[in-house]
Amino acid sequence: MTPLVQIDDQLEVSSQTSPDWVRISYASALALRFKSGRFQRPFDFGGINLLLTYDQGCRSDCGYCGLARSRQGAYEDKSFIRVEWPLVGTDELVDRMAEHEEKLTRLCISMVTHGYAYRDTLEITRRIRSRLATPLSILVAPPTLNEERLRALKDAGTDMIGIGLDAVTEELFRQIRSDVPRGGLKWDNYWNIVHQARDLYGPWKVNCHTLVGLGETDHDLIGIFDDLLERQIFSYLFCFNPEPDSRMAEHPKTPVRRWRRVQLAKFLLEECGLEPGAFDYDDEGTLARIHAPAELVERAVRDGHAFMTNGCPSAGGEPGCTRPMGSWRPTEAPRDYPWQPTDADRAAVLEQLHLDEILRPGPGPGPSRPPERWAPPAAGRPAV
Amino acid sequence: MMTTLELFTVGGYRLAAGRSYDEATHLWVETVAEGAARCGFDPLGSETSGDVVAVSFEPVGTSVERGQAFGSLEAAKFVGPLIAPISGTIRAHNGEVVARPGLVNQDPMAHWLIEVQPSRPDEELALLLRDPDRVRAWFAAEVEKFERQGAITQ
Repeated sequence: MTPLVQIDDQLEVSSQTSPDWVRISYASALALRFKSGRFQRPFDFGGINLLLTYDQGCRSDCGYCGLARSRQGAYEDKSFIRVEWPLVGTDELVDRMAEHEEKLTRLCISMVTHGYAYRDTLEITRRIRSRLATPLSILVAPPTLNEERLRALKDAGTDMIGIGLDAVTEELFRQIRSDVPRGGLKWDNYWNIVHQARDLYGPWKVNCHTLVGLGETDHDLIGIFDDLLERQIFSYLFCFNPEPDSRMAEHPKTPVRRWRRVQLAKFLLEECGLEPGAFDYDDEGTLARIHAPAELVERAVRDGHAFMTNGCPSAGGEPGCTRPMGSWRPTEAPRDYPWQPTDADRAAVLEQLHLDEILRPGPGPGPSRPPERWAPPAAGRPAV
Repeated sequence: MMTTLELFTVGGYRLAAGRSYDEATHLWVETVAEGAARCGFDPLGSETSGDVVAVSFEPVGTSVERGQAFGSLEAAKFVGPLIAPISGTIRAHNGEVVARPGLVNQDPMAHWLIEVQPSRPDEELALLLRDPDRVRAWFAAEVEKFERQGAITQ
């Protein structure tokens, strides 16, 4: 059996911890009517996100995360991705999800780094699977897992695995997630789990979360997108949004122009056949030119899927996990759209991109990556 | 000045007697001293917005028309304008609510948002619901509507 990473734990159990209790995203609580309220723009939402909960919280201490161990405040009062995650009984949640299953598109259990996380994730997976057929992902905590445990989660009914790499270079990962006040994570451990999950779950059944705005360059990002694409692993893009009171609370949010260009470059690479050589960078690694036919790039912008939330699909291949307002406040324009962008949305994106600055005039070399090495179409987008 | 609220219940929600209710905005209006009027959310107005995290208002002294925005509200997954149920000049903001927006969810009938000096009180207050039987009928229908829409807890 593959050895597990040692977790610094003094395990205690109180009455409201996993597996009998979980936290759910605010959007999930609205969809399942645990909370009253509404979304800024009405749309069908069925991506239910669960988060394990423990008295001691997550034993990791990542600089940008609301759940970081050294972030001030009681764990139950901490926000995650900047909003409250309501606490609900697992069995009541399963009942409620079964009642509303016709509108559910994707379920996801987010683990935290904790000594009981694997045991409890397996138990919650079994409770869900005993009542619901909606596809289930797990966003894993690599220090709690090994190959055998990944297999057990698959056998219990999980079809996709996510790994929250977030920091896309080893150096950045070390700075933000390893060399931290308490409970550092290991880059190698994360990649071991990526590879093991890919072997066990198969092509396009594993995803890595990549966060834009932690201090990486565009070159770093497009490099990892290409690396994962070659391994038939999805990259899911997230926009850094400072969490109040975290160690990176004062770190600036990614400028929207950069964010849009990274979204576009990722889409061109993964779904339009461009190779990494189609992108030029300045001395600081910032995307400076895209060598591609203008018509291809403009079509990608008009299509709109490049700017939608990256997430696991529904059983029918529609957008499943859409995380509305995960990267933006309702007072702000969406960073990643949980719906198909409207004409007005696409016009705003086009303005934000300033394509004339990065698109080399002329026909460009065009797609050179053979279609068999493209990513499958984004959720909800018909294959060309 | 402390006032005692006389409350009645409709569909599990507590409403205050002696106030006028705007069907379009789910705001109440209460006439106070010197002909001034205070406006606040009724319980469905606050609850269907979600957890309120911020409110902001046009400056004191601003004239607002019925149907126009006198401020804005931000909740966890929603942001929208606050629409004036009556026309008038803003005389005061409730600083307590600005500092602790969650009060709007906790007890909306006890926490006004703004105080205005109405410009057309006789004409516009008549457009609001005040008769208890009509308020009850309207509010009960609204509860059912929001339940059908899934905007309030099960």
